Amino acid sequence: MMPARVLRIRSTPLRLTVILSVIFTATSLACFATTFFLVRANLTAAILSDMQQTVDTFGSTADLAELREHLTEAALTTDPAYRILHFLPDDGAVIANVKRAAPVSGFAVLPGSDFATSDRPLAESYQVRSLRIGDGQLIVAQSRDSIIEMAEVFAAAVLMGLLPAIGIAASAGLWVARRTQQRIGTIQTALSAITSGQTAARVPGVAGRHDDLSGIGQDVNDMAAAQEALLVSMRQVSTDIAHDLKTPIQRVSVLLDQVMTKTDLSAAQETLLLRAKDETACIVRTFQALLQLAQIEGGAARDRLTAVDLTDIARDVVDFLEVDAEARGLILTTDLTSDAIVAGERQLLSQLLVNLIQNAMLHGGDGGSIQVTVSTGPDGVTLVVADRGPGIPEHERSKVLQRLYRLERSRTADGNGLGLALVAAVCTLHRAHLTLADNAPGLAARIDFPKPPSGTGMFAQGPHLPQ
Amino acid sequence: MKILVIEDDAATGAYIADGLREEGHSVDLIASGADGLVQATIGTYDVMVVDRMLPGLDGMSVVKTLRATKNATPVLFLTAMGGVDDRIAGLHAGADDYLVKPFAFGELSARIAAIGRRPKMQDDPISLTVADLDMNLLTRKVTRAGQIIDLLPREFALLEQLMRRKGRVQTRTMLMESVWDIHYDPLTNVVDTHISRLRAKIDKPFGSELIETVRGAGYRINVA
Ligand SMILES: Nc1ncnc2c1ncn2[C@@H]1O[C@H](COP(=O)(O)OP(=O)(O)OP(=O)(O)O)[C@@H](O)[C@H]1O
Ligand SMILES: [Mg+2]
Repeated sequence: MMPARVLRIRSTPLRLTVILSVIFTATSLACFATTFFLVRANLTAAILSDMQQTVDTFGSTADLAELREHLTEAALTTDPAYRILHFLPDDGAVIANVKRAAPVSGFAVLPGSDFATSDRPLAESYQVRSLRIGDGQLIVAQSRDSIIEMAEVFAAAVLMGLLPAIGIAASAGLWVARRTQQRIGTIQTALSAITSGQTAARVPGVAGRHDDLSGIGQDVNDMAAAQEALLVSMRQVSTDIAHDLKTPIQRVSVLLDQVMTKTDLSAAQETLLLRAKDETACIVRTFQALLQLAQIEGGAARDRLTAVDLTDIARDVVDFLEVDAEARGLILTTDLTSDAIVAGERQLLSQLLVNLIQNAMLHGGDGGSIQVTVSTGPDGVTLVVADRGPGIPEHERSKVLQRLYRLERSRTADGNGLGLALVAAVCTLHRAHLTLADNAPGLAARIDFPKPPSGTGMFAQGPHLPQ
Repeated sequence: MKILVIEDDAATGAYIADGLREEGHSVDLIASGADGLVQATIGTYDVMVVDRMLPGLDGMSVVKTLRATKNATPVLFLTAMGGVDDRIAGLHAGADDYLVKPFAFGELSARIAAIGRRPKMQDDPISLTVADLDMNLLTRKVTRAGQIIDLLPREFALLEQLMRRKGRVQTRTMLMESVWDIHYDPLTNVVDTHISRLRAKIDKPFGSELIETVRGAGYRINVA
């Protein structure tokens, strides 16, 4: 069995518009119809009473000869287009203002074609009554053209008045619906951007308007601003903690180092100390990453960007990590164009590459292969690191760029969720655009570097020295 | 060597000074930038270790001032955790190398050795030799005991780095920096993988180990 197919309109404003248009059309038609039938009933009644009068006139004449005289005179003076008279006596000649009349009995509505004259025009439709009067059968047919004309006027009114009105109402409705839909759309877009982690996204054009949609937009914006502020303060807190704990951690590490080198230790003690050192190293790494992030986000390094060849950097990094990939049973391939010059900071860029390739090995390793591509185009240089692993679900893609955020499945793996945050920060510093895309399967991390400013003194001068 | 350490944190200063003394160096420890600068100009040192953050005159100004007065004493710059900008600024100010705190003593000691006693090698040696291992820098041919060894470019570069500083410890980070120009700590175990590949080619087939692992520090290629 096929389920009944229902036309579903997802957009609320559009649906409301359609419903309103249908209601408007239906009510207008009902109005017209009621009026039409009332008027027609009135007209019919008028015709019938007119006819009755005629019949009464003849009916009241008792004398047969006088009746014939009456009828003959009436037949001569009555326009058959208005009223047809047809008297067929039991004996003798027909008295009529038409040549032929349809045989009828009682009441009927007949078309004009059922009658015939020699040369005079007839009405389109007649209200007909046939009755016995005196010594014959009288047919009186009264023109119904007034009703037909009325119907035509109504049809014209519907055609020229109602239809355009419906059209105008529907298109105005659609226009309003589209506009409302667009405004709802901008709210939806902003909301989904915000919930997927882009806390800087906002609903545009809500300021200065005071309707309900702007109100909702404003609420969404306020919510996003609060969330953004929270994120910023979380960042600030983590940076502050890292700053405060920097020195104690450093001392602990120094003390551990001293114990290791200056005392005679049993094997068990040494194992414990080594573990303690490993843990400290782990803490140091996290703090180092947090502090470095804060510094990169501070943007001071932007002054130090020089012309660097991304291909050179990629070659070095891949050359270094290749053995690691091999050891994990992965194939690391490259496709590097030469002369991929970007305005960059070499160390940060190599760290960015290391992070992306390590992610591909660690989180996308199931796929067996990793491809690093550097290409040049009219708009600048593009770097892509792609793996064939499980990838990152779309709604998580901007969240993984936040510090300390890791996917559920990676919580047990090494690392602390700062790698991509650093990648994103380095991209921002380079005014490069980072996209995490689906490699079907796997993740393709793509970075588009803008064309380095040519003809400026930047490359000739070399790095800018802070004073 | 005569080493001047300018470090205001007492614990770190003592740690560095004690460690270096134990290695047989003579060490002066100064806790402020201004005093350090005076000491550096009146005494003659083989190496200076200068902390970036110092009360009064900071480490960077100390190094800049020294370089401005044509004092060429090698400087190892100590920078705080997370100080990416510091270390680069330090190098530009004229430091010879930098080290991010906290560091293992082995790392510090290896780096001091590397910048301090730069032997006046002939500018461009054509070949490097360690025991029966020969490396021709022009033909890029490597032989051990007369036998040709096929090395990948990166293996060649790694071996060259070790041979150029034969007898001296190279830490994993130093190798990473000099061979691949990567300045990123958490990858030091990858260096081990590279070394073991290199060993498989130049040590294993010959039964005797030229590349030695120095515990807590790094690697060294031995002279004898
Ligand atoms: N190539 C990838 N394939 C699948 N998931 C990935 C990939 N790269 C990153 N992820 C997911 O994104 C999360 C964040 O990555 P990020 O590099 O920021 O942190 P991490 O790798 O877990 O730790 P760290 O980089 O600090 O050592 C990872 O935990 C993982 O869940
Ligand atoms: Mg990572």
